[in-house]
Amino acid sequence: VSQTDRVVYRIGIDIGGTFTDFALLKGPEVILYKNLSTPDDSSIGVMTGLAKLAELEAVTLSDFLGRCDAIVHGTTIADNTLIQMNGALTGLITTEGFRDEMAYRRGFKEDVWDVRLPPPSEITPRRRRLTVPERILHDGTIYKALDEAAVRACCSRLKQHNVTSVAISFIFSFVNPVHEKRVAEIVAEEMPGVQISCSHVVLPRQPEYDRTSTTIVNAYVAPKVTSYLEQLVRRLKEAGYKDQLMVMQASGGVMTVQYIEGAPVRVLASGPAGGVIGAAHVGVAKGHPNLLCVDMGGTSYDISVVHHGEAPAEAGWNMHHRYLVGVPMVKVETLGAGGGSICQVKSGALEVGPESAGAKPGPICYGRGGKQPTVTDALLMLGILSAESSFAGGSFSLNKDGVVEAFEEIGRQMGYSAEEAAFDCWRVVNANMSQGVRRITAGKGIDPKDLVMLAYGGNGPAFAAIQAEDLGIDRVLVPKASPNFSALGTLVANPSIDEERSYISPADSVSGVKTLWQELEERAEKYFADARFPADRVTAKYQMNMRYPGQNWSLTFDVKTTTGLHDLSFVDDTIGPKAIEAFNRRHMEEYGHVREDEMPEITGVRLSTSVETPSPKVLAGFTSLVAAANVAKARRANLGVGYQMTNIYHGPDLRPGHELIGPAIVEESFTTIVVYPGWKFRVDDAGDYELNRAVAEQ
Amino acid sequence: MSFELNKRIIAKRPPLPTSATIDPVTASIIRGAFETVCFEATTRLARAASSPIINQSNERNATIIDSNGRLAAVSVGVPHLTFVSQLTVRYGLEMYDEFDWGPGDVFVGNDPDYGGGHLPDYNVYAPVYDDDGELVLIQTLQAHHGDTGGKDPGGFTLEATDIFTEGLAIPCLKLVQRGQKRRDSIKLLERNNRFQTFAGDLAAMIGAVQHAVKLLQGFIRKWGTDKARAAINHNIEHSERRFREEVKKWRDGTYAADVYIDHDTLGTKDVKVHVTCTIKGDQLTVDLTGTDDRQELCGVWNTYANSCSYIMTQVSASVDPTIVKNEGLFNSVEIIIPENCIAQPPDNKPAALGSFHPACEITEAVCVALSQVAPERSAPQVYKIGMPNSVIGFGKGGKIWIDQGVDARSMDASAVQGIDGWGSSCVGLGNLLLSEAEDGESRFPIINISREMTIDAGGAGRWRGAPGSLNVKRILEPTLAIAWMVSSSHPLSGMRGGDDAISYASRFEVGTENERAIELSARAQLPAGAVIAYQHGGGAGFEPAVLRDPEAVKEDVLDELVSIAAARDKYGVVFDGTLEKLDLVVNIAATKALREEMLASKDKAA
Repeated sequence: VSQTDRVVYRIGIDIGGTFTDFALLKGPEVILYKNLSTPDDSSIGVMTGLAKLAELEAVTLSDFLGRCDAIVHGTTIADNTLIQMNGALTGLITTEGFRDEMAYRRGFKEDVWDVRLPPPSEITPRRRRLTVPERILHDGTIYKALDEAAVRACCSRLKQHNVTSVAISFIFSFVNPVHEKRVAEIVAEEMPGVQISCSHVVLPRQPEYDRTSTTIVNAYVAPKVTSYLEQLVRRLKEAGYKDQLMVMQASGGVMTVQYIEGAPVRVLASGPAGGVIGAAHVGVAKGHPNLLCVDMGGTSYDISVVHHGEAPAEAGWNMHHRYLVGVPMVKVETLGAGGGSICQVKSGALEVGPESAGAKPGPICYGRGGKQPTVTDALLMLGILSAESSFAGGSFSLNKDGVVEAFEEIGRQMGYSAEEAAFDCWRVVNANMSQGVRRITAGKGIDPKDLVMLAYGGNGPAFAAIQAEDLGIDRVLVPKASPNFSALGTLVANPSIDEERSYISPADSVSGVKTLWQELEERAEKYFADARFPADRVTAKYQMNMRYPGQNWSLTFDVKTTTGLHDLSFVDDTIGPKAIEAFNRRHMEEYGHVREDEMPEITGVRLSTSVETPSPKVLAGFTSLVAAANVAKARRANLGVGYQMTNIYHGPDLRPGHELIGPAIVEESFTTIVVYPGWKFRVDDAGDYELNRAVAEQ
Repeated sequence: MSFELNKRIIAKRPPLPTSATIDPVTASIIRGAFETVCFEATTRLARAASSPIINQSNERNATIIDSNGRLAAVSVGVPHLTFVSQLTVRYGLEMYDEFDWGPGDVFVGNDPDYGGGHLPDYNVYAPVYDDDGELVLIQTLQAHHGDTGGKDPGGFTLEATDIFTEGLAIPCLKLVQRGQKRRDSIKLLERNNRFQTFAGDLAAMIGAVQHAVKLLQGFIRKWGTDKARAAINHNIEHSERRFREEVKKWRDGTYAADVYIDHDTLGTKDVKVHVTCTIKGDQLTVDLTGTDDRQELCGVWNTYANSCSYIMTQVSASVDPTIVKNEGLFNSVEIIIPENCIAQPPDNKPAALGSFHPACEITEAVCVALSQVAPERSAPQVYKIGMPNSVIGFGKGGKIWIDQGVDARSMDASAVQGIDGWGSSCVGLGNLLLSEAEDGESRFPIINISREMTIDAGGAGRWRGAPGSLNVKRILEPTLAIAWMVSSSHPLSGMRGGDDAISYASRFEVGTENERAIELSARAQLPAGAVIAYQHGGGAGFEPAVLRDPEAVKEDVLDELVSIAAARDKYGVVFDGTLEKLDLVVNIAATKALREEMLASKDKAA
């Protein structure tokens, strides 16, 4: 057996709207690749890309896949199902008296000024929301027995409606699931073959709207997610892959297809989560554990914060496509500001976004029929992008036809020239993004100036430094892998299971927590074993959710971290006081005060488990000899201080140690990095880029 | 006298003096930054506050006021409160020298007779100075507190004879003097509140305002005072121009509406709000002349500032929602409210319940009047709920608890042209997060039995109001329940020929021999196990029901929002087949005949 035969691969795959991204880990080396997505059947694009990677490695596809010990996948299929509203015909069975929680949405509406705001389209219109007599109280006691005849009547009604997926959600089922379990059995008998989603499985916590909504979304996307994943698994197996396919979750961890199929809603919004996990990994390796991550693509500007090297998943008020989804998600906020965002004058004010020209027709300069000027067109006008350079990895060139005219029209309405109009569009989109960041960091109580910015996505690095300056940030990281960041993130993400069980009691009464943790341990052990990870490799964080009486939102904090499962010896008489102390510490950190004379209440226990798997190594440091980079060419460009001849550098020519001073532009295959005046650009030992505010350096 | 003060504080204010010029893009960037500061202030408050009413329900607003007392920027929790805060500040500004304003100061005001809404709405505000010591801005933060130290816990007293029954009234009180907290003032406020958590809430408000002031100082330094002032002037003028462009599209004329409250809290019937909207070119005038001014009325007095704000809430809803909310809107509308009427009471009238009624009837009447010119945006931004069944008890150690009954429900979600009423309430309340059974039951000795929409409980119309919900609760321990019933004999108005919403109704001790309907008000000790039921009125309809697409009526029947009987009687739609078999088909010929018959008998009646 030759040396090359023993190479082991790991592959991260992320499917986006335009491109399917691949990150191939081969020993310490990472190889990046992109090809076009195939929206009708995403698995085709995946298989095409894998074949290409095999070709690059000069092996057959089956040989290549045979040597992969992990394929990790991020998918947008659940998001697309909700965007296109083409999921399963879904019905709900819920507690008598609570038929309309989904219609009320706890009162929430997205715009308090717009009386013409249309309602969200309903996954379960009222005719398919049915109720049965039953009731469980907050302490788990049965107040009213389940009426099984009524359940069977519901089933026959749902069959009449041709329902193929049933959500079951009862009041306080997360405390005592006995009625939900029995109803699931009856539905399986009466409606053979339907998909069943129980709220105590999908989201075992209060309150009822959050849990019911999440369960309904799960029921709606489950058949599509499941059949897609099964299809991909089949194709991979046929092509020679022998291991488990691991799937990215919104929580930032990956897990097996079998686990995901228990609650497929977990893959919603997993793509952006992958990017954040990748960013955290790179940031920590470079010595910057506190990051502001910005990802500017074609239609949106995604913002997230990494704190102490982590991007913790939060299970709060996550509205997705107008539906509340309560599973833990890495918090990523999205603004309608991307390369395709449309610039227009409305009643004398210049506006950019949130409407987007998307990938089709796209910006005018794509030459695909777009007529409305976009941010990308403005960058072309400003000389930040150029029609002479290749775009999107050389797949096409930009074209200035019609662009000048479009900005002349804006200029006519605003009373100035086309170039001034383009510059103002740049200013407006910048301001929108800065305000977006401020709102998000404010929500977390963080001052952006204490963070390092990490920019990725095709358009992120074009705006990063000017954004940073606006926010008082002195340092910006632009990893070489930035255009493939979500794919890289799937490789970084560890297999993990993060689940909770509701348990409501005063904090000094903890008798039931041990049993619940044991139950969660058993689930984790089972699924990790399926993925061929023994229990002794599992890192387990035993957590509690607690709040003061009167508060609605609980805080989660660690009680104990162990390597290996089943060591619950820490659950002794001291656990109550220790938990209260930890909660008060966390409350002080989060809210700046504690209520000393009040006994907090436990609302749940949580077990967050994961297994370390090999990640791409990221090098740090600037030990290479400093050298001036070679200028490739120059062109007229406006980098915020008026048009001037600006040096252009060719990214692939840059080597560790290279340094240059703004104003300058670095053209990479899939992105353009703008070095604004007052900023210095350097290449570190790993070939990754760092921008520093020159003033801050002095 | 407060009438004199009202005149002064509502008077239109001139633009700020500035020598700078500004381009529209910079002006909008500065506006965006202001709005973000307001957002930061409300977010900080939510994070740090300890009471559910502040940290969950989002009933809090931040605004930035300029040195002339004009509204420069807002961040919204509830639109109805948006246009009040500058009036409290204008009183403070009048007393600038006497109250010794200076950098680092923080004030509070809540007095209904000094530019305030009602007592629970504390407005905490602080001046922002530039480096030359010139006053540039005032940051405000307003939030509804759970108690005001008056006769009844919660701040609402049915038989309140004056403001002093309701609690502590504060025209303008300094909480922080040049950066140093005034412990004496703060202690006074803490002492006048039943809830322990108030101290934390007040501290959170002060902290959030101070944080916002710091941010604004940074921005003023960056742009310069003159440029910031030019931007404010520009933005206010821009909003006024856009608003007037909308008004200009409306047909000139005078449009009037009457809306009634069933009774005041003591039973005096048919309290009237009369609104006349006059449109002349680009000028809109809203005149409340003709509104009830019987001085013996109890509980239905809405402060002047609040009346103006509730008028502006509906006016703002009637125009393009992207028009930026600031003083420009106020500048575009002439508001006339006679002295001594329920919308501009004399001094010392109670104010707590007035923020519900007549405040919402004022809003509703403006909507009815403007529906004649702006039908596409005529959805009343109201809560016709009276005072629902607020339940008060005492837990371990005598600690008071209140379930204020803000449960998930459907009420007053009216239709608008082309869109059926939907969701839980009007869009204006879309930021509030309502309480859930699993929260409430973990906290209070209650069981939520039901809260579904009632079939046929939405106002019929070409576009249908959302049906109101019937919320039923069982109380497990003896408790005090307080209720004030309205919107029963005068339910929410339909628009342009749409049906009114159904009546609100409330019953105590359901299913026992003591079962009774609450006609007027109640303050009752209920035994353990008592069931209380509250039927919400639902949304009203838009345009006559016989014009509704019969297929849409069929969908409503399938969804059990409308019964087959109501489909026939109210919408004139006849079906073949049955709901049970899901084979309903509109009988086109029978429907046509019935509708013609209904229209004919309506004409005859007219």
